[in-house]
Amino acid sequence: MDRHVNRKPIVALVSATCLLFGAWQLGQGAWLEAKARLAQLLLQQAWSQTLDGSRQVRPWPGADTWPLARMQVKRLGVDQIVLADASGRSMAFGPGHVVGTGELGGGGNSAISGHRDTHFRFLQQLQTGDQLQLTLRDGVMHGYQITGASIHHKDETWLLGETKNEQLTLITCYPFNAIVPGGPMRYVVQARAVVF
Amino acid sequence: MPTIITNQLHRGGPARVKGRLIVLLLLLFWQLPQAWGVDASTEMPSMEPGQVQRGSLLLHLASGGVALDAPMLKTDVKMDISGMLARVSVLQRFKNIGSEWAEGVYVFPLPEDAAVDRMRLRIGERIIEGEIKEKAEARRTYEKAKREGKKASLLRQERPNIFTTAVANIGPGEEVVVEIEYQQNLHYDQERFSIRFPLVVAPRYIPGTPLARDEIKGFQASGWAKDTTQVPDASKITPPVIDPSHGKINQVSIEIRLDAGFPLVQLESSYHQMDSSRDEQGVHHLSLRNGQIPADRDFELTWLPAANTAPQAAMFKQRWEGSDYALMMVMPPAKAHADVGRTAREVVFVIDTSGSMHGESIDQARAALLLALQRLRPEDRFNVIQFNSNTSALFSGAVQATPNNIHQAMNYVAGLHADGGTEMLSALRLALRERGAEGMLRQVIFLTDGSVGNEEELFNTIQQQLGDNRLFTVGIGSAPNSFFMSRAAQFGRGTFTYIGKVGEVKQKMLELFSKLESPMLTDISIQLADGGKADIRPGRIPDLYLGEPLLVTMRAEQAVARMEISGVLDGKPWSRNIDMQGGADSPGVHLLWARRAIADLMDETARGKPEREVRPAILNLALEHKLVTKYTSLVAVDKTPARPLDKGLQKKNIPTNLPHGWSASKVFGSLPQSATPAPLHLLLGVLGLLAGWLVRRVEWLLSLWPRRATGS
Repeated sequence: MDRHVNRKPIVALVSATCLLFGAWQLGQGAWLEAKARLAQLLLQQAWSQTLDGSRQVRPWPGADTWPLARMQVKRLGVDQIVLADASGRSMAFGPGHVVGTGELGGGGNSAISGHRDTHFRFLQQLQTGDQLQLTLRDGVMHGYQITGASIHHKDETWLLGETKNEQLTLITCYPFNAIVPGGPMRYVVQARAVVF
Repeated sequence: MPTIITNQLHRGGPARVKGRLIVLLLLLFWQLPQAWGVDASTEMPSMEPGQVQRGSLLLHLASGGVALDAPMLKTDVKMDISGMLARVSVLQRFKNIGSEWAEGVYVFPLPEDAAVDRMRLRIGERIIEGEIKEKAEARRTYEKAKREGKKASLLRQERPNIFTTAVANIGPGEEVVVEIEYQQNLHYDQERFSIRFPLVVAPRYIPGTPLARDEIKGFQASGWAKDTTQVPDASKITPPVIDPSHGKINQVSIEIRLDAGFPLVQLESSYHQMDSSRDEQGVHHLSLRNGQIPADRDFELTWLPAANTAPQAAMFKQRWEGSDYALMMVMPPAKAHADVGRTAREVVFVIDTSGSMHGESIDQARAALLLALQRLRPEDRFNVIQFNSNTSALFSGAVQATPNNIHQAMNYVAGLHADGGTEMLSALRLALRERGAEGMLRQVIFLTDGSVGNEEELFNTIQQQLGDNRLFTVGIGSAPNSFFMSRAAQFGRGTFTYIGKVGEVKQKMLELFSKLESPMLTDISIQLADGGKADIRPGRIPDLYLGEPLLVTMRAEQAVARMEISGVLDGKPWSRNIDMQGGADSPGVHLLWARRAIADLMDETARGKPEREVRPAILNLALEHKLVTKYTSLVAVDKTPARPLDKGLQKKNIPTNLPHGWSASKVFGSLPQSATPAPLHLLLGVLGLLAGWLVRRVEWLLSLWPRRATGS
């Protein structure tokens, strides 16, 4: 009888801890997702200011990155703002230009990286021949056509090297549905510059 | 999608929650197999960039991009060693494997003191002798020949230990050979002779911010690094590096003829297996056991004279173009004051923990440092500084070498690992900033591979901030930057050591300790007897440590008969008379003098003299002795055009190997990491809620149990 009485609060505590932990984790996950979406809204705003001629518009106070370009894939309804660097901190808010690769629309190979579970989830739906548009800060639109996708190890840095022709290299983690982040594989989509 | 479900969680009642939870779980576990396996449906055929033709050779580069149909390179090295001198010939065979006409560009290392005076272009049986020209003029000559479709080759110096060969108009399937020759004196230390031959330019860390938008450059700018404020020629010293998954390229054969002049007790190739034989004249002939090796680490040969046959003095002479040249080696007394009491020291260890040190190098550096820490005595003071992208010190200043402090330092060193950039300047400044306590010798021991592009800036800092400090460099790894090691030690009034494998750590460090702890010969000067006049190089004679010989070169109009060397040995005056009669007649002594004189002039720029003031003197010396320098190049041009002018010419950079034991991802980075932990959070969240619910369920089930028990 004693046992029966004493067990109740412990069970309630264990159960409450588990529920709280679960709620906290769900909150964390939801927050990451919400941040990614909310940031893109603020970035769209900063982008319109960028186009007004004011360069390096910080999308919110204290931001250490700024919009570089607007990326659109009409077929998939993708419309995102590309940030100035691909650090983990920036990529929480949007895809980022990989520093050290060619300038966007600069005639060489420019790489853009984004999270596989938020902004760059659409990469798995891209098909060869799809058209992608990049609007730069000067308002000029550059057109690209997807030439293919492939899976690589993260050490294959040759993918970031300069090329003779203008191309875009989109990089995200692979596989898309992995639960744990930090795997060694990358999904790489390449696109060549076209006029349309 | 998971977000929507979590939103509904908050709206629904408890019953709904359970239902949704189960749906969500099912959903997650349905996704799991996909998540862990490779889903074939998303995999498209792997594609290569650009339009790759059938039958062409495409190599991925760890330094970025690809190399398509780069000419294949094979190198044959022949060394002829006699006494203290070596004449080395380096044959570079460029084979165009592509279907178009090609220009091959190869960036490669040579010893930092090599006097390069010859380059020949071999086309089949024909040989075209290269001419020495001012650098810009040599380049114009080469570019003109290239445009006209003539075969041509150009050899230029980027650093005293980095050179570039360019070969124009190699036909499809054709092989063109460039032969380079240089003169060198041997390294003699601790009664051991050695000669090093570097085989690969290790990827250098390039500090600074990129210069404004790349200008269109013709010949240069083939490297993986962009020119920066601190290294304005970075693109010339960073040849492309092949992805290690392709295996090794650029095979080298080495043959050596060694006429030591005394019997040997030991003859050893430090990092490569060699076969050797001895002929009736006592000359050793060596070649690589496997015929060839990939160009991915330094080659070193060492030999030890039999007991009591080690030379104590030697002289080599040459009469050349109306002047007398001499190379002289004198061994100071080794054990004069060996029993002298050891003075307390303050030792600052500086260890490079940048990405290039990852792997075998950091193991060697750690082992060396642990050995050095054990060697400290209680009266000594010490500190440990590490640097990569940032600099940090173990203690805020030097501390007493108590067992406790040493124990703490050993734990610190054992825990070091290598990653990040090589911002060496701040580490050097921190190490040299403090001054030792009164009467204490302050020694800075610098363990690094020297893989940086801003050597000049570093020398300048050492020279300005040295004070009474002494700087000793320990070159770590398979392909250390020998120019940095030797010059930094020279400006630091110390000495340098190389460690190329873990097995060498103990012996090399013990040699260094004996130097650090023994008296040295300082304030060395040379007086010529009977009013003799000579230009002696090096102009500033460095201090000598235990086991190091005095090595000088001189040029005189009239042969010098006698000279006196004097200095201070352990606080007491020391001198020695040298009779300059006799000595072996050897070709190439004038080259060693000129090379040393040019190095002296180049050192002046690190001491703050403007380059335009030293350039004319270097140019004169280089043109007179036909030496390749910062301001002069060798160029060879064939007479008749080979390439039809309607055929294009493709410039191809020869890829190089990543040095042995290095990690590509630690040097060149990897593709960005791009996934958030959101899915993991969601999974854990669901599991947490489920566990909470289950605990309650179990409690409810258990609550049924006692009732039944009492009922029966």
